[in-house]
Amino acid sequence: MASDLLSIAKSGAQTARTALDVTAQNIANASSDGYIRRSVRLEEVSAAGGYGRAGDVSLSGVRLDRVVRNADMFRQSEVRRTGSDAARANAEVAGLENIQSAVEQSNLYSSIVEYEASLQRLASDPVDSSLRASVVESARTMSRTFNIASSALDAVGTSLRFEATDSVDQVNVLATELSRVNLRLARAADASSDQTTLLDQRDSLLQQLSEHVDVTTTFNVDQTVTVRLGGSAGPQLVNGGAASTFAMATAANGTISFTLGAVAVTPAAGSLTGKSQALTKLADVRTNLDALANGLISTVNAAQANGAALDGSAGTAMFTGTGAGDIAVAFDDGAKIATAPSGSGANSRDPGNLTAMRNALATGDPAGNMDKLLFDISSAVAGRTITRDALNSIADSASVALQAQAGVDLDHEAVNLIRYQQAFQASGRVMQTAKDIFDTLIGIR
Amino acid sequence: MINNSTSAFFERSTMGLSGLRKQAETIQNQLATGQKMARSSDDPVGASKLRLLARADSLSNIDTVNANRASTDLTLTDTALGSFADYIARVRELAMQAGNDTLTGTQRVGIATELEQIHGNLVALANTRDSAGHSLFGGETAGNAYTLDGSGNAVYAGTASAGELPLGDGQTVSRGLTGPEFLNFSVNGNPTDLMAVVKQLADAVGGAVADPAAAARDSLDALSTGLDAVTTSQTIVGARLAWIDLTTERRIDLSELRTNEQIEVGATDEASAIARLQEVMLALEASQASFAKLAKLSLFDVVG
Repeated sequence: MASDLLSIAKSGAQTARTALDVTAQNIANASSDGYIRRSVRLEEVSAAGGYGRAGDVSLSGVRLDRVVRNADMFRQSEVRRTGSDAARANAEVAGLENIQSAVEQSNLYSSIVEYEASLQRLASDPVDSSLRASVVESARTMSRTFNIASSALDAVGTSLRFEATDSVDQVNVLATELSRVNLRLARAADASSDQTTLLDQRDSLLQQLSEHVDVTTTFNVDQTVTVRLGGSAGPQLVNGGAASTFAMATAANGTISFTLGAVAVTPAAGSLTGKSQALTKLADVRTNLDALANGLISTVNAAQANGAALDGSAGTAMFTGTGAGDIAVAFDDGAKIATAPSGSGANSRDPGNLTAMRNALATGDPAGNMDKLLFDISSAVAGRTITRDALNSIADSASVALQAQAGVDLDHEAVNLIRYQQAFQASGRVMQTAKDIFDTLIGIR
Repeated sequence: MINNSTSAFFERSTMGLSGLRKQAETIQNQLATGQKMARSSDDPVGASKLRLLARADSLSNIDTVNANRASTDLTLTDTALGSFADYIARVRELAMQAGNDTLTGTQRVGIATELEQIHGNLVALANTRDSAGHSLFGGETAGNAYTLDGSGNAVYAGTASAGELPLGDGQTVSRGLTGPEFLNFSVNGNPTDLMAVVKQLADAVGGAVADPAAAARDSLDALSTGLDAVTTSQTIVGARLAWIDLTTERRIDLSELRTNEQIEVGATDEASAIARLQEVMLALEASQASFAKLAKLSLFDVVG
């Protein structure tokens, strides 16, 4: 079999065109999310000499072997893993910061101090009606501040659960999408541009999924992926063309838990885990705040019950309610504050019971406990922020490392553009030469 | 092959530039607010310290108000005690006059009238009100310190003690004196009080006894004992005022300490903050300039 110069040139021109197309595609997608740089692999087409034709030259040009997708599985899985960790830390810190602002910006601490201060001021003249009124008003401010802090915490919890619900929906959408991509991947021809696009989609979906929950992936021979949640022994989220349903349940105290196809699963990373951790902390803070409010209510009410009001009658409860959410002042009349010991007459200036109440408050130390609570939250935020920053920079560098390897380098593409353009021109010149040779042969007389 | 992808270059540049920007903004915020912390989580320990300091400050303000009040009441007590001393001096003068045997009965009746007036004034003075309108010498009573019984004798109606007022840091001061503390004394082992002495003197000089002149001379001893009791009490009040001054000074010292600590823990150190801002700005400008230069470098410009 002989060679055909014209068809060699044709194959050269064709592959150069294809390579130019791929280069153009790379340039066009230089900043597309999840796009992985393609490059062409060319292969010589030639036949070995047959029996008795040992010296024969049998060259047939070049052909496009495959379009190579420059993905590094390890770096991709690193991006997923570190991204998952960073998403968890970000969600947790964001939740904790909201909890902190809910408690801190309600000015609960200063309102408790203000209440203590008003009682101390009343000690200077226990029968003064304006001082008594100021105690009632500062008690009202304090109880409302408790209410505000409580409802702010509720709002934080609601928004965290709302976001978590949305995340769960996203996970289900992504899992379904991934199962469809799996089905199509199983049918796609090897190394076709169809397959590379599907692979891009697969990787991009996996990365999006890893933002919400940490995934364990197994890649099969046909390039489909099996996804598990909650570690390598966890239940399967996606297996071939089938996707299980991921669901969330809310407990009475507002914390959340997850199931996958009715099997309980605990993700270790991803934004859902972060939200779940923030909600656990929120339940904790809530319990402490309620205990604080309840302690204050019972201390003051117990002291009130031991004393006599301004008109000499037995003292009545100053606060109603059992926690931060429902604490309220029970009376408007400052005369009902029991400053005098039980059994005193009307208008008694004896501050005995007021002193007892202030001592009981000093022992219970609501302001000190509030400070502890604030310190607890703020140090949690400070500590987690450091972790978050570290995880973020790890995730960023993993993502940059992947980008550096899999992304499009425009300089590189510029060089390719020139190289394949020159190859195309050269193939054209080969065709010219073939024509010249043909003309020479025709021209023999 | 090392492939330096374009998007990686832009991503790295964005990360570097935004990091520097964030630092600059944090310092700028510290300078603008004058506070190192925008939230508790910026420095949990410092924030807790600041909260405790603020609490101590607001409670100390109340102590200041209480101390001022005690100081006012004690000053009022001091003034009233001075008036008591003046009246006793006048009663002594009158008693000495009445003790003169040469006086006629009519003249003595005149003296007795003045003594009765003085008795009334003493009762009114003993019922003086304090700055809050309560009885100054009645302890913790709601009404008057002294009431007059059917025969015109002053009877103490107050409580046994004047009560303590907290001055902060566990210190207290007795906010005043009760009437019996300075008006009651004993003469020859018999307990009596100033008002009773004056009343008896007025009655005696007015002719209730056979020898008014002798009775008037006898009362001089009791009167000087009464004067002693009043002046002793004035000393006590002076000492209490000095005690309040001492605690006030201490409170001011502590408040200065707290302010210093608040500045140390919470306030921005402007000099170092500005220097750091300058440093960050320099780095930011340099990276912006180098980014702009590098981003302009494209092979497409050259091969076009």
